[in-house]
Amino acid sequence: MSLQHMGKGALRVAKNYTKGYSDVQAKVRDATSNDPWGPSGTQMNEIAQLTYNQNDFVEIMEMLDKRLNDKGKNWRHVFKTLTLLDYCLHAGSENVVIYFRDNVYLVKTLKEFQYIDEDGKDQGANVRQKAKDITNLLQDESRLRQERRSRANMRDRMTKGGSTS
Amino acid sequence: LPTRPVDRDKAEAELILNIKKATSPEETAPKQKHVRKCIVYTWDYHSSASIWTGLKVQPILADEVQTFKALITVHKILQEGHPVTLKEAQQQVGWFDTCARTVGNDGSKGYGQLIRSYVAFILSKLRFHRHRPEFNGLFEYEEYISLKGIDDPNEGYETISDLMNLQDQIEQLQKLVFAHFRHSANNECRISSLVPLVKESYNIYRFITSMLRAMHRRTNDQEALEPLRSRYNSQHHALRKFYFECSNLKYLTGLINVPKLGTEPPSLFDNGQTPDLP
Repeated sequence: MSLQHMGKGALRVAKNYTKGYSDVQAKVRDATSNDPWGPSGTQMNEIAQLTYNQNDFVEIMEMLDKRLNDKGKNWRHVFKTLTLLDYCLHAGSENVVIYFRDNVYLVKTLKEFQYIDEDGKDQGANVRQKAKDITNLLQDESRLRQERRSRANMRDRMTKGGSTS
Repeated sequence: LPTRPVDRDKAEAELILNIKKATSPEETAPKQKHVRKCIVYTWDYHSSASIWTGLKVQPILADEVQTFKALITVHKILQEGHPVTLKEAQQQVGWFDTCARTVGNDGSKGYGQLIRSYVAFILSKLRFHRHRPEFNGLFEYEEYISLKGIDDPNEGYETISDLMNLQDQIEQLQKLVFAHFRHSANNECRISSLVPLVKESYNIYRFITSMLRAMHRRTNDQEALEPLRSRYNSQHHALRKFYFECSNLKYLTGLINVPKLGTEPPSLFDNGQTPDLP
């Protein structure tokens, strides 16, 4: 980890405190930060499980909403939020699905997201592709249902210890 | 009204800024982040009233680039905004007419004709949506659940003709855009008007294809559909050419997937194994 990113991490901790973000919101902010790695599976799984609690759910949605609407320079916020959202649609509470079906235009309108960085690299392409994939998923109810089911089955098998069933 | 955490006063203030920035005098594409905010606004509040007001308080009509950018912005909002936008736009015909009238013959930067044709297209689009409110602004295939009209052949025939008229107008407009490219300058502003046109023409194409197939399945009178078939074929070839030319524009292919159509139009007769649309 470079010193630069250490500094940013410390700043994020300070911001969580001064802006009055809750622990749950701080977790979402960590998972969707500008660090050039992650979010990790552990982070995403923890947040997905938290969506089953109604209070945590509201706080998480509020933070996802903020991050999705971030500006081009913070394209990593947007990209990682879409990654986290994809995970939560599969493994989180049904409420995540309902919420983003209601507000599908938040994701849909990211299909033309644009950001060219200082080196002339098109960083928007990742966001555009992910926005397309998630929009398609949200509009295909039977596929989403099936993917959620097979995910839950897999989790069951893993926690019960594999080949015994 | 919205299920998202929002603040109406803040949203209204920001909307004015977004409109201003989307229609700035720079000869570039309207920035998507500002257009997006306008689209999201119409879904949050199920209203487009503030957008029309916002457009009118800005000094947009004094400058041809700003007018053209405003039309691109409006077109995108009509396509992707809340359905109420299409209804509310019906009362804005006067504003569109003014856009077309204000710019002199060809304008100093050559946008005059483009503006007048864009206005003519948008007004046709609005007329279409007024008569057929079951279509959404982007003619999205997935969202059109029942192919209304195919039970009544006359109704179906007319819907398809109207869609084809719209398609012809897109064809005229895109040709005009290409004809107005300038060798010296970058053409980003002009090219950006092709983005909504590619999307709309492709969705209309998919619609026409599946409606025509359904009509052929339902009727025994294949002869009666001949005029639609031949028109379909020529539109297929024109679209194929349009998309091919678009695929050479790097700025555009970086933003959207330009569809690729086959050399020959797909079969409209259901022979049990109708190929999927691209």
